[in-house]
Amino acid sequence: MAMEVTQILLNAQSVDGSIRKHAEESLKQFQEQNLSAFLLSLSNELVSNEKPVDSRKLAGLVLKNALDAKEQHRKSELAQRWLSLDIAVKAQVKACLLQTLASPVPDARSTASQVIAKIAGIELPQKLWPELIGSLLSNIHQLQPHVKQATLETLGYLCEEVSPQVVDQDQVNKILTAVVQGMNASEGSSDVRLAATRALYNALGFAQANFSNDMERDYIMRVVCEATLSQEVKIRQSAFECLVAISSTYYDKLASYMQDIFTITAKAVREDEEPVALQAIEFWSSICDEEIDILDEYGGDFTADSDIPCYYFIKQALPALVPMLLETLLKQEEDQDQDEGAWNLAMAGGTCLGLVARTVGDDIVPLVMPFIEENITKPDWRQREAATYAFGSILEGPSPDKLTPIVHVALSFMLTALMNDPNNHVKDTTAWTLGRIFEFLHGSTVETPIITPENCQQILTVLLQSMKDVPNVAEKACGALYFLAQGYEDVGAASPLSPFYQNIIQALLTVTRREDAGESRLRTAAYETLNEIVRCSTDETAPIVMQLVPVIMMELHQTLEAQKLSSDEREKQNELQGLLCGCLQVIIQKLGAAETTKYGFMQYTDQIMDLFLRVFACRNATVHEEAMLAIGALAYATGTNFLKYMQGFYPYLEMGLQNFEEYQVCAITVGVVGDLCRALEDKILPFCDGIMTQLLKDLSSNQLHRSVKPPIFSCFGDIALAIGENFEKYLIYAMPMLQSAAELSAHAVADDDDILEYTNQLRNGILEAYSGILQGFKSSPKTQLLMPYAYHILQFIDTLYSEKDMDDAVMKTAIGVLGDLADTLGSHVGPLINQSVSSKGFLEECLSSDDGLIKESADWAKLAISRAVSG
Amino acid sequence: MADEDVSPQSSYHRNAIKTSVHNTSAQRRRQLAVAVGKERREALIRTKRLCREALFDDNEASLEGNMNIDEERAVLNAQASQIIEDLKSAMTYQGKGAAQKKVEALRALRRLLSKSEIPPVKAALQAGAVPLLVQCLSFGSPDEQLLEAAWCLTNIAAGEPEETKSLVPALPLLVAHLGEKSSVPVAEQCAWALGNVAGEGDELRNILLAQGALLPLARLMMSDKGSTARTASWALSNLIKGPQPNAATELIRIKGVLDAIIQHLRNLDDELATEVAWVIVYLSALSEAAVRLLVKSDVVHLLVGKLASSESLQLLIPVLRSLGNLVAADSYMTDMVLVVGHNTTDQILLGLIKCLKSEHRVLKKEAAWVLSNIAAGSVGHKELIFSSEATPLMIHLLSSAPFDIRKEVAYTLGNLCVAPAKNAEQPSIIVHHLVALVNRECISAFIHLVRSADIQSAKLGLQFLELVMRGMPNGEGPKLVEREDGIDAMERFQFHENEEMRSMANGLVDKYFGEDYGLDE
Repeated sequence: MAMEVTQILLNAQSVDGSIRKHAEESLKQFQEQNLSAFLLSLSNELVSNEKPVDSRKLAGLVLKNALDAKEQHRKSELAQRWLSLDIAVKAQVKACLLQTLASPVPDARSTASQVIAKIAGIELPQKLWPELIGSLLSNIHQLQPHVKQATLETLGYLCEEVSPQVVDQDQVNKILTAVVQGMNASEGSSDVRLAATRALYNALGFAQANFSNDMERDYIMRVVCEATLSQEVKIRQSAFECLVAISSTYYDKLASYMQDIFTITAKAVREDEEPVALQAIEFWSSICDEEIDILDEYGGDFTADSDIPCYYFIKQALPALVPMLLETLLKQEEDQDQDEGAWNLAMAGGTCLGLVARTVGDDIVPLVMPFIEENITKPDWRQREAATYAFGSILEGPSPDKLTPIVHVALSFMLTALMNDPNNHVKDTTAWTLGRIFEFLHGSTVETPIITPENCQQILTVLLQSMKDVPNVAEKACGALYFLAQGYEDVGAASPLSPFYQNIIQALLTVTRREDAGESRLRTAAYETLNEIVRCSTDETAPIVMQLVPVIMMELHQTLEAQKLSSDEREKQNELQGLLCGCLQVIIQKLGAAETTKYGFMQYTDQIMDLFLRVFACRNATVHEEAMLAIGALAYATGTNFLKYMQGFYPYLEMGLQNFEEYQVCAITVGVVGDLCRALEDKILPFCDGIMTQLLKDLSSNQLHRSVKPPIFSCFGDIALAIGENFEKYLIYAMPMLQSAAELSAHAVADDDDILEYTNQLRNGILEAYSGILQGFKSSPKTQLLMPYAYHILQFIDTLYSEKDMDDAVMKTAIGVLGDLADTLGSHVGPLINQSVSSKGFLEECLSSDDGLIKESADWAKLAISRAVSG
Repeated sequence: MADEDVSPQSSYHRNAIKTSVHNTSAQRRRQLAVAVGKERREALIRTKRLCREALFDDNEASLEGNMNIDEERAVLNAQASQIIEDLKSAMTYQGKGAAQKKVEALRALRRLLSKSEIPPVKAALQAGAVPLLVQCLSFGSPDEQLLEAAWCLTNIAAGEPEETKSLVPALPLLVAHLGEKSSVPVAEQCAWALGNVAGEGDELRNILLAQGALLPLARLMMSDKGSTARTASWALSNLIKGPQPNAATELIRIKGVLDAIIQHLRNLDDELATEVAWVIVYLSALSEAAVRLLVKSDVVHLLVGKLASSESLQLLIPVLRSLGNLVAADSYMTDMVLVVGHNTTDQILLGLIKCLKSEHRVLKKEAAWVLSNIAAGSVGHKELIFSSEATPLMIHLLSSAPFDIRKEVAYTLGNLCVAPAKNAEQPSIIVHHLVALVNRECISAFIHLVRSADIQSAKLGLQFLELVMRGMPNGEGPKLVEREDGIDAMERFQFHENEEMRSMANGLVDKYFGEDYGLDE
């Protein structure tokens, strides 16, 4: 059955494009026509030591791609295909793979490791291939180091692919024993040791039981710490990666090792090569993450407690940790500010310092201030930059009381530095630090204002001047202005920015038109800052915003006129269109929200809509998205008048709802449907058949990203609210979908926070749908149509109540639905409601909630229920 | 290839603290856009929830805050006077938008009169609301104005008796607007107002009847529109409440009324059925003519159907009472309709059993009453009830239920033990029913009734003791009664002011516990 595929595989790597293409085609055909033979041929190729390395490597890769894909839908399809193959074929493929682990060719072994792990990922959860782990472990006792290395690598990949639940503890123990033995200093081969260390990284998730046992944990920790001192840099790096993973997975088990770990990490940060030192810093950042989370939960009003106690490791390490981090700040790279993806010791150190400040608050200030004072005026730019960076890093965490006096002193120094420092790095960091000052210490909630009428003008003058500096500095100056403006968002009638408003807008528009605005994302920053300035405009400055409308419209118009663009130019054009649509969105929101400006703004809506439709016609996902958002805003501003645009817009709406691949586009479009419902009310009716069809299609597709489902459910509610009893014809489709989603979400096993959060979003969406439908039918002669669903809805709420894992948002919506049920169906549901646990316990709980919104909904529900029960 | 001999982690690093503003700002802008939608959705839902027809929302104000009641009253009174002033000036205003001005003032008044827990009706009346509202009801006014004015009057009519009476000048116009030429919402609103007035008392009812409210309301009841028919039925049930039976008789004789009643009962709308059932309650209670028509119509089957299938307390109460009235009023019911062996009979029994089991006192009581009327039927009826689940339920209720239910149950149980009387003879006893009840220790419960201050109950108790002493086999009766302290209970009547009771009790004691008593042993 197997075929000779060597030549095709070699051709598939040819430099000649046409040969390569042809070979790829034949492989694809082979796979489609006879999957069994295809897989057998590839595994035969991989196992044959006499074949060229290149063809073997590619055979393994193609094999892997036939078993796994990134996209979830495709992934499960491939898994199903593998499972449905003939058992003998599968056995033969597996045998070849296991045999390859003993190959003298490293690439072949490594590829086989990965493929074995993929198959394990498919089969172990189905309780298939039970002998795999046993046969791998028997390899460990082989004398040949290369077999040992390949086997450990395989175990590592396997742990990455498979979830801990499917491997029983006995096998976990054996895997960990093999891995930890492989890491031991007595292991002669450093390849084996490296493979073992990397395998441990993946196996840590399996070691829950072992980490609860003092002796086993001590042993694992000792071996990991020893590995951080290995001669091999890769082993050291990998061992530190293990420590990072341990710090987040087993935070509460670390107390007795912290002293040693501090010593090890401090040495690595100061002396080791950068990749190792970065991981050593990452260990402390990760501890900060844990403690910030725990302290957050301590401080939260819901539980005021955390499952895991805080051990205050950071607070204890502070006197030694802070100096270590400050040293790293002096190790900047020359061009790091121009490179968006840069990551080096200084950046990691500053980031960690910022986390430490958030963890310990005020305590960090006296430890950092001497460093700042000593270095901020030094002739070496590195010292001045490091001092500024240190200051910027600690602005979130310590109390305003502690920081404000220092900032008062520092502010004018910073402004001078931003204007006069000869070094761009220093100016860049200074502008960023100013932004941080405005972000955390300025705004309506801050008691002692940093910015006064006296210094406001000076600050603005400096920032607007810096916006003419080199792109990276100008970009940071925009950022500082952004946060400065944000602090004035709810200042009311007399904004301190008003006298400078026109100048600010002019300066920002000038930045957007700079030749070099493409560098350092300067243009993007300038537009987003402009948006923020629009957002904080007041009655006084609204006319200036109004003047901005034709300006931005003209810019957008010009992007549409450009012709014959290269693909690079087209991408830039699309990005610019996105920024302009975003800007219009904010302007529409702002001007449409106030009666005083709304009327004047209406003269532009026809032209704006026309521009948006032309942007849609360009068909690019990001533009689509931004224009879509802007249309939501326009719908609110125009209200029922939006009807005249519907005919032209509807095709794009439908297109957005069909966009499975770019699920954010789909989600935003679903949101816009809601906006339209509220704007058009029952005038949306003629479009509802099409919209509902798309939404139902979306829901039944397993390709659609799950995050879009909750908004789709909410959207059902929006539609029902808009069209009332006309929703009747959709009930038979929508209700069963809601019902089955409700059943799934009510009992969802949410063992991790992400799943719980998603589950609650889903519940909220479903409940919003019920609310909308019930309220939509209220006072209609057709309310009886909803009676058959009442029991299920109540049961859903009852189950949510008994599961005890809903968040505040769900609680509020759920108690509201209980009221809606009583409100709409009245005495017909009285007896049903009386029987439900929700009508008593849940209602009581909500009535006594501290959350005002929950209480309000509960008060209302109580009233509605009492009417329904008593008539 | 995936494995480039890199460490699994090193390509990834956390986000740097020093970032550009565009990373967060675009994200925030989108979140704000989503948040706007969310806020608007919530605002809309909130508005919909609070937007009930004002007629239902007299409880609403309890939510509205903590203002001291006196302060609140003062504020509301001031608002009422102000709005009436506005209305006055709107009435005289002739310029552009005059109609709109009037409607706005009326709407403000209506809201004020319906929103709060303590509507400032008195203040509005003192400020002269009624004459203004009557003026607003004049013929040819726009519908919206008529609707708002009628709505205001509805809310005033819902107030204290004196306030309701103040509506008298408005009644002719309200009746007039019930007519076919009015729009449906206006007619419906006028029916509400009149229903409130009619509910006040027989004086106002007679005025309304004299002004010819019955016929147009009956016509409205024939409407296909659920809310209209419901409102009209409700108003009619208030209008025909009596005490004189004329209105009820007149109503049933209006052509189409019976058909409309049947049609509405067939409808699935429980709220409509409820109001219609109340109409039947008064028809069957007051008018023999109506009873004669009703028992021969489909109404009985439909009522029995509702009784068996509905779970609505609101509906079950009038259904039970109607059925009870009909069974009590005309033997045609037990003789011809609820014939033993008919499906309807089984259904009504099941429905009554359901109600006996219910949590609600009123349902239990009404059900026991209906049952007692059926138990007064033929021996077949008695046997059917006796062998059903109703009997153990009633025996339980006889000792545990509140007094009024116990009394109804005692009637029924007593009725089960006697055969229908022929001529003037003393009714003959159904011995095995009696024995079964006695064996289930009913005597003490009946003796308990004998001791009751309520004459009727005491009489019921005495009657049952008579049955026991006369009917228990082997002359066991007197001993059983004595054992439960029955003699003492009866002797309490020796000098009772009620002569019938006195002679009944004394007669029983003399007859069964006279000089010869105890000599046999």
